Amino acid sequence: MKLSKIYKSAIFLKSIFVVSIFAIFFISAVTFKHISLLDNSSKWVNHSYDINLELERLMSYIKDAETGQRGFLITKDSTFLVPYIQSKNKINQSFAKVKKYTKDNPAQENNLRKLEFYISKRQNYLSLALHLSLKKSITDKEVKEKLVIGKQTMDSIRNQVDKMILFEKKTLKGRELYYKDTIKVTPIFVYITLLITLMLISISYIRITRDLEKLQISNNSLVVLNESNNLAEIVGSFGSWQLNVDTKEYTFSDNSYRLLGYEPKAFFASQENFMKYIHPDDLSAFRDASSKMIENGTMSPFTYRVIRKDKKVRYFRTTARIVTNKSGEEILIGTTSDVTEEVLASLSLEQQNIELEASNKELVAFNYVASHDLQEPLRKIQTFVSRLADKEYDNLSESGKEFMTRINNSVERMRILIDDLLQYSRTTKIEKVFESTDLNDLFENAKSDLLQSIEEKNAVIKNEKLPTMTVIPFQIQQLFANLIGNSLKYSKADIAPKIKISCKRVIAFEEELIPKKTKDKFYKITFTDNGIGFEQEYAEKIFILFNRLHNKNEYVGTGIGLAICKKIVENHKGFIFAEGKPNVGATFTIYLPEDNH
Amino acid sequence: MDKDYIHIILADDDEDDRMLFTDAFEEMKINTKVNTFNDGVELMDYLNNPNAVLPNVLFLDLNMPKKNGIECLNEIKKDDRFNDIAIAIFSTSSSEEHIEETFVLGANIYIKKPSDFTTLKKVLSDVVTINWQYYTSGLNRDNFLLRL
Repeated sequence: MKLSKIYKSAIFLKSIFVVSIFAIFFISAVTFKHISLLDNSSKWVNHSYDINLELERLMSYIKDAETGQRGFLITKDSTFLVPYIQSKNKINQSFAKVKKYTKDNPAQENNLRKLEFYISKRQNYLSLALHLSLKKSITDKEVKEKLVIGKQTMDSIRNQVDKMILFEKKTLKGRELYYKDTIKVTPIFVYITLLITLMLISISYIRITRDLEKLQISNNSLVVLNESNNLAEIVGSFGSWQLNVDTKEYTFSDNSYRLLGYEPKAFFASQENFMKYIHPDDLSAFRDASSKMIENGTMSPFTYRVIRKDKKVRYFRTTARIVTNKSGEEILIGTTSDVTEEVLASLSLEQQNIELEASNKELVAFNYVASHDLQEPLRKIQTFVSRLADKEYDNLSESGKEFMTRINNSVERMRILIDDLLQYSRTTKIEKVFESTDLNDLFENAKSDLLQSIEEKNAVIKNEKLPTMTVIPFQIQQLFANLIGNSLKYSKADIAPKIKISCKRVIAFEEELIPKKTKDKFYKITFTDNGIGFEQEYAEKIFILFNRLHNKNEYVGTGIGLAICKKIVENHKGFIFAEGKPNVGATFTIYLPEDNH
Repeated sequence: MDKDYIHIILADDDEDDRMLFTDAFEEMKINTKVNTFNDGVELMDYLNNPNAVLPNVLFLDLNMPKKNGIECLNEIKKDDRFNDIAIAIFSTSSSEEHIEETFVLGANIYIKKPSDFTTLKKVLSDVVTINWQYYTSGLNRDNFLLRL
């Protein structure tokens, strides 16, 4: 495991390189030494041979001299003296050579000195014998004697020369042995070193090949990435660009050009060239933004208009951020996207919103004014009818009295309608002031609003303790009043209404009815009554404005009350649900978020 | 001030309402003197006259031309001369905004115009016979609106 780590590290290749270089140096040093050794040893061999040859030559010169002398001695012919005289010179020359060859070897020098002595002795005897024979005074016995001595000296010379040759041979043999030893060990050593080096080089070769493969793969994926980036830019209609902060050099992606309606690289990438296409009205803002961008090293999304090559006005949005690359250069990387559709859509949406808001305001105002102003004449009709009933009732016929009652009923119904409508429009009005309020207070107020009706019907209302919440107080009071009022209104004729209100703190995802599966906390308030109930299939319909389940002659109701309830709950970002069973009762469940903001 | 009768003023642009108002007091067995004005300007002209006989109770409609009830209320409350006048807002509207605003401005009671003559008589007789000094000391946001 550790080994593979080393193998993968970048130092690995470098160390192999260094080791290999040292190994090669080592091998060359050893080889050099070896070659010089070889060279030396062959020199020595030559040297020994030279000495031996010269010694043999010396020997033969001495022999020549002797032969010549002998020949002269026997024949007295002076022609025999020529080689003798010549050989004397040659011997001297040859001896000088040998002397020169052996001057670095003390043992041979010693031998040579002895040889010199013998040679000179021999020459002395030769010349003595010659001299004697020339004088003719010499006896044969004397000559013989001299010759014997000469022969003895000659033997000594031969002996000495043989000794010297043997010595040279021995020296040569010793050198050969040393040379062989050296030459036997070094190749193995060099061979092993070479093998190791080769192995290391092979490993690094494998490593380099593998790295190259990896490089190829990452190169390939880079090409793919680049291509997909290009494609993404085209599909997403955005272009990317870079600015080297130090050199002020710009690079635009291909699609940056296309966004302006040009072919890639159609113009030199620079800020000046790009600014040519910016809408004159946005030019100064763009300048400010880009100088700020270079100053701060970042640019928050900035939207501006450009005029494309085809003279079409488009909206661009640019954002940028500074990065520092590994060489320490600061590079601003940015994207520019064509957001024309987005901008136009948001502009039209904004316009629609303004219109919608205005029409909504108008509608609310209309609703409010209409209901409010409608109340005025209605109230007067009721008042005058009541005066008529007070003052003139006795003067009316039976049918006249009947008509009066019907007028009264109709007017009363209209008043309720207008009241409800007024309330509905008030719940949709824009100003909504949230206050932290004790819901128990609101509940008590709602009950006191309905006191008359509660007493008339002998209703029993039981409620659990309610929380203090941030709500629009009068709306929640209205909500409570409407729900209690609803239960009173749709109570069974012969049974006193019982209304039970319970309250519980719940978490959204634990409640089946809440569509949002979040961890938000809600207060779940349920109103359960024992009234006439309704078919479950109408559970959603009853919250729709003007939707009624009963004939207005059976039950007084405008179809607005529950619509108001729904509106109020929605104003509080809550939910309301109804559950009913005919002749058993109805349950209304309200979920109000604990935290409204 | 002469204590024989209760001096009452109504400012209302609606002729029918003024008629019903005076009729109601005529039918009641309370010794009252009722003056009516057609709008806020007329009312303030009368009150600003230093010699004017100031009313015990002033009934003020909110929705009037030229000068509405809120403006009148504002002016009256700024002038210490009118400190003793009990002001009853007398309006068709029972909107929270109006109730809130007039309460804050210092009106004494808020009456929604009843749609029944008998009720009207009862409300008016209740209001004019209230011991205002006692009532005002216990005045709060909850009993400001006269519940019928």
